[in-house]
Amino acid sequence: MNAAAPFLEVRGLSKRFGSLRALDGINLDVPHGGLTALIGPNGAGKTTAFNCISGALRPSEGSIRFEGHEIAGAPYHRVARLGVVRTYQVVQPFAEMTVLDAVTVGALLHHPRVSEARAFAGETIEALGLGSKRDTIARSLTIADKKRLELARALATEPQLLLLDEVMAGLTPTECAAAVELLRGLVAREITIVMVEHVMEVLMPLADHVVVLATGKIIFDGKPRDAVNDPAVIDAYLGRP
Amino acid sequence: MTPRSHGLALGIVVVALAALALGYHNAFVLNLVFVGLIYAVLGQSWNWISGYAGQISFGHALFFGCGAYASALFGVHHGSPWLALPAGALVAAALALAVGFPCFGLRGHYFSIATIAVAAIAEIAVNNIGALGKANGFEMPILAPSLASLQFDDKGQYVLMALVLFAIAQIGTITLERSRLGYYLRAIRANQEAAASVGVDARAAKLATFAAGAALAALAGSLYAQQTLYVGPEDTLALPISIAIALVGVVGGLSTVWGPALGALVYVALARYGGAVLGGQGHGLDLLLYGGLILVIVSWRPDGLAGIGGSIRRFVRRRSAETPA
Repeated sequence: MNAAAPFLEVRGLSKRFGSLRALDGINLDVPHGGLTALIGPNGAGKTTAFNCISGALRPSEGSIRFEGHEIAGAPYHRVARLGVVRTYQVVQPFAEMTVLDAVTVGALLHHPRVSEARAFAGETIEALGLGSKRDTIARSLTIADKKRLELARALATEPQLLLLDEVMAGLTPTECAAAVELLRGLVAREITIVMVEHVMEVLMPLADHVVVLATGKIIFDGKPRDAVNDPAVIDAYLGRP
Repeated sequence: MTPRSHGLALGIVVVALAALALGYHNAFVLNLVFVGLIYAVLGQSWNWISGYAGQISFGHALFFGCGAYASALFGVHHGSPWLALPAGALVAAALALAVGFPCFGLRGHYFSIATIAVAAIAEIAVNNIGALGKANGFEMPILAPSLASLQFDDKGQYVLMALVLFAIAQIGTITLERSRLGYYLRAIRANQEAAASVGVDARAAKLATFAAGAALAALAGSLYAQQTLYVGPEDTLALPISIAIALVGVVGGLSTVWGPALGALVYVALARYGGAVLGGQGHGLDLLLYGGLILVIVSWRPDGLAGIGGSIRRFVRRRSAETPA
């Protein structure tokens, strides 16, 4: 690891699907620690950006460097091993596995012994308030619990950079408040978070840094309080009061 | 079932069959038991890649054939059969890696198609290569019976050898279920992309599973050849053998420790014993019976015979839970 290298450095990242430019040459720096909010209207390219950074999709152009390693186009599992792990907007559980078994799959990344991985997965599940459901089959969980499982599975890999794609969508206000506390706890543990979210009142007090995407381009990159007053952001996404 | 109860069940089966092998000298029955054990091992090796890893192989006879031909070649060239075992297993594992590597990066049914194609190519090649005996195959020389020559004058000894291999296959499966690889395979089967997102290398996991299963099938092939002392393409490499192996796995129940053994029991009872009783009349009734059973199981119990066992256990548990204390 090169101490001088930026934590996550994205340069000229483009992703085309046929003639559609989902991402059009974005540049992005995410510092180590803290929470970066990635916002923008539907179809702006937020999930595509996550797919490229996490390795799920091969970018058409550009470079993605994580702690100095070039990860653009690297296999998905290898990016996860370097410490960049994401959750899915549409939850992707291991349907037939129990909660504990599913989280154990994540924990096995850095705990090759099954007994240790199960113990660590158990702790992770407890920390996310899923303890009473550890033997429940993932398919039969509520949507809120499936999202929690998704997060637990990602956290069990002990990521350095966590990409959260709308983990709060569909949660009740009480569940959201619990999720916020959880995220604050993760930031306190020095896990860097980039999150896509639409619930502004949740996001703004939480974010250290806001990036706004619209039609595949970054139109704002700065402090949350500046984002809400930025005319381009208001036009493209927030709307006028 | 816990690993301990699997181990206990395995112990009982091994002791019972070993007692049969040593005490009951009916060659017809012992031959059925031997063939049953060989198919239980083949079904298990198929179950690893096609059950646990979810990649259906229709060419498993290829690996069975690797072992059988290794035994035949070492036999006719006066090599030790104990060298044929690892040689066949290594060739089978290498072939599995060669077939799996390009296929496991793809989605869909490419793997299944490739396994059929490669097994067919191997069968045609063997039929045309003089050094591999062409269509006539090999008659292996009869040696003095001993553990060193892996030839015995008593069928029971072959059953004991097959029992050792069966125990290895079962212990391997029980271990697999509880291992890191076992977790990874279940995750890949459930959702390959989500598995990759938490660091699972799906291709490596499938390749390791496929190669290990191929090696196991080759060991079964070697042992089978040591008992029949004749190896030809029809009996070892042909598509019907591949189908039979897959059916043993499906009938018994995919991704279960005991499914292949149950499937092999059905296969031997119907296809071999039934064939001996009914097939001799030339009506192919045994095949009809076997095919009908597969239709019933696949449409009514897709999780196979082992799945029925699970249902009964759950039913009994529910009944005992409802009974007031």
